Amino acid sequence: MAKGFDVRRLPGFASVALLTIALLYVPIVILVVFSFNDSISQSQWAGFSMRWYETAMNNATVRDVSIRSLWLAGVSAGFATVLATLAALGTTRVGRFPGQTMIYALINQPLMVPEIVTGIALLIVVAFVKVQTGYTGMGYMVLAHTAFCIPFAYLPIRARLETLDPNLEIAAADLYAGPVRAFWHITLPLLVPGIMAGFMLGFVTSLDTVVITEFVKSAGQETLPTYMLGQIRRSTTPEMNAVATLFLLLSLVFVTAFFLITRKRG
Amino acid sequence: MSAEIEISGLSKVFGQGAGAFHALSGIYLTIETGEFFTLLGPSGCGKTTLLRMIAGFEQPTAGTLRINGEEVAGKGPNARPVNTVFQNYALFPHMSVRDNIGFGLKMLGRPRAEVAATVDEMLRLVRMEAMATRKPSELSGGQQQRVALARALAPRPRVLLLDEPLSALDLKLRKEMQSELKRLQVETGITFVFVTHDQEEALTMSDRIAVMNAGRILQLGTPHEIYNTPSDRFVAGFIGDTNVLSLAVASSGVDGVTLAVPGAGTLPAASLDGLTLLVGQTVTAVVRPEQARLCPLAEADLTATLEQTVFFGTDTHLHLRLADGQGFILRRQNAADEVDPAPGDRLGLRLARGALRVLRD
Amino acid sequence: MHSTRHGWKWLLSAPALVVLVLAASGPLLIVLVYSFLTPGNMGGVAWVPTGEAWFRVFFKRDLFEPDVITWNDANLMVLWRSVWLSLQTTVICAVLGFPTAWFIATRPPTNRPFWLFLITIPFWTNILIRTFAIQEMIRNNGTLNTLLDWLGLISAPLDLLFTDFAILLGMAYVFLPLMVLPLYAAMEKLDFRLVEAAYDLYASRRRALWHVILPMVKPGFIAGSILVFIPAIGSYVTPRVLGGGRTMMLGNLIALQFGQGRNWPLGAALSVMLLVIVTAALVLYLRTVSKESGGPRG
Repeated sequence: MAKGFDVRRLPGFASVALLTIALLYVPIVILVVFSFNDSISQSQWAGFSMRWYETAMNNATVRDVSIRSLWLAGVSAGFATVLATLAALGTTRVGRFPGQTMIYALINQPLMVPEIVTGIALLIVVAFVKVQTGYTGMGYMVLAHTAFCIPFAYLPIRARLETLDPNLEIAAADLYAGPVRAFWHITLPLLVPGIMAGFMLGFVTSLDTVVITEFVKSAGQETLPTYMLGQIRRSTTPEMNAVATLFLLLSLVFVTAFFLITRKRG
Repeated sequence: MSAEIEISGLSKVFGQGAGAFHALSGIYLTIETGEFFTLLGPSGCGKTTLLRMIAGFEQPTAGTLRINGEEVAGKGPNARPVNTVFQNYALFPHMSVRDNIGFGLKMLGRPRAEVAATVDEMLRLVRMEAMATRKPSELSGGQQQRVALARALAPRPRVLLLDEPLSALDLKLRKEMQSELKRLQVETGITFVFVTHDQEEALTMSDRIAVMNAGRILQLGTPHEIYNTPSDRFVAGFIGDTNVLSLAVASSGVDGVTLAVPGAGTLPAASLDGLTLLVGQTVTAVVRPEQARLCPLAEADLTATLEQTVFFGTDTHLHLRLADGQGFILRRQNAADEVDPAPGDRLGLRLARGALRVLRD
Repeated sequence: MHSTRHGWKWLLSAPALVVLVLAASGPLLIVLVYSFLTPGNMGGVAWVPTGEAWFRVFFKRDLFEPDVITWNDANLMVLWRSVWLSLQTTVICAVLGFPTAWFIATRPPTNRPFWLFLITIPFWTNILIRTFAIQEMIRNNGTLNTLLDWLGLISAPLDLLFTDFAILLGMAYVFLPLMVLPLYAAMEKLDFRLVEAAYDLYASRRRALWHVILPMVKPGFIAGSILVFIPAIGSYVTPRVLGGGRTMMLGNLIALQFGQGRNWPLGAALSVMLLVIVTAALVLYLRTVSKESGGPRG
């Protein structure tokens, strides 16, 4: 049967697109494949083995930095989600108010400023505060990661809030609910998917943050990404591939969860 | 009957200074207990603002508003014995039909058993027993409409406010819900205040109608009064189709006034609305398209030329042109044995007694 | 209409703003201050105001004759390389991203989430891991050289790692999703009846693309370009891993001043430079956007 004229078709585009998408995955796939290599080589296949995973699991430093990364991501994303939820409630559906642009600029600032600049800026401040107070704990890292996660958590929460029908809260008020109970029974439950999505994005963002951590961390505060960054400079073994693969898997879980949550809305 | 809602000198201004918008200016209105009262007007006429003020979502700029004799200014919507059916229903999407209907009673702190019993009663009333556990997204438009009604009725408000509740439904469902609403109002005896821009809806359902435009009430009356004796040009034009004619006063005497269309004939004017007219003066008069009929030229009040016929199924509209150039539309019931005249024909028109109304401009 | 009733509501954002001022905006101001101070002996600063750091961004003094001033070509070279590589990255991403976004936007609506998901996964995969994957692939004994050798195309391994090309490859790879996503968003909203109208009026495929499709998805192009350019110019990880210190970008030069360089004021001045470039790109973007959307009304 003759093909009709398809206005959506542009010759050659599909091939370029499929090739591009394939190229996006080739390096990652190679990385994953060689994490199962039964040899130290990262280019010559020598059979399937889990030995590098065993090595990684038995590596106390890897365990240590992984736990620290997860802890930091959980705490920072948690704080960021609470702050971002409040901020979204304060800035969405309220009409125009003085200082609005300023607040948006502040919230989105970590998205605009290169991480290296935020990193050294924090280095300067943290160095100063450390000398003044003598405190060298994880507080600096939590604060830095929380600030960095706020815009990522804010976006989906705000998006969700914007799709809420303002009539629902009006209807609740009409049905004898005061502002607090209207928020508790109507707004908050409807906001939950947005809040969950915000937490996921914040968590992944914190987990991925390398540069800021690199400059803020004190001795013994290595996270998984900064540990990997240090290791990559030396010649690596497939143990790094195994660590990277596990890391990848974790991100994948969160991204998938985020994707499913945001798609289900409406 | 006693007064349910008394509105006196109510005004609402949005904004300030030069950009201020007067949504309502000096509204005086009394709505009786148990009445089906309709606010009718085009969009932007202030009818929804008035409704929202009764509900407590907007505060008046000036004037007083009493519900059941009690001044409610300054009271929030959750402190008024009034519930609203929203235009798009505003059903809580995360709650079942049951929980939606029971929400108001729960907020009022009623005992669980009482809430359950009332919800059951409401489900029966709107015939939604089978859907009690569904979520709003699993309901059709008409079903959502019923749930919204049940939810607003469950706390037994003194007044039910309905903000264009039928506008999202298709024509057939809208007709069904119109009679359903009327039945609910009669069964519950609650005062209904209904907002619509659909004149037919207003005419079929209401006990009384207030026709609004540009923040004012232009006419207040029963559907019959509004339709048959429109007080001005706007009301005449907004309610039903109407012919607006510019006519000269031909004679004025004890037995009435005659109006002339140059070259087309003279007509007896009906209601003068207490106006005194002078011979030679030009006046505006209205006549409904169904109140004129075709007749032999010899018996005609007016003669006109047919320009176009438009077929509507049950009836046909004849677009006519009078000798002085004014247009006139005549509506004719379709009957099987009648032959429509052809464009270009000269036709005689006869108006029903009392059909031609002179308006004060 | 709401402003008076909700006047207090913005206060809900106060806690977030406090954290952001403490850990994001405030420190930036301190960077600006530091760029006008004197370097300390062991890193850090001495509180002696000077314009020396800014001078050293662009110029250098002869080691033996301090009055002889020449351009600081090492710094300027890094600056130029950062801008040039970032522009190239943007162009590569646009060239590959446009067909990709078009392909996704023209799939049946039920399949689009799947394709979009394929783009989103790399987007949310750690940049470090993706850069590491590229490094593994292009190193001397990596997969690419092994493959080329096996095919008989090369006799000696290509020295790809630690070159400008490696950085360019890595950045294009890492930032490509940032171009595809906004382009897709623009194309998804595209009214295909307009494309049909173009064909109906005798346009060829090429002219329909040029005169109708491209102008309509232009906002997506602009947004994508800015989303690629800004992180590219501020890159640190990718040039560090793939340039290996042999070839640097601005981010690495900044980091160097806070490490072995022990010249914090110079690092601060370079950071302010980087911020200025980013701000200029953003301003250019906002101007273009407001001109695009405000045209007919203005």
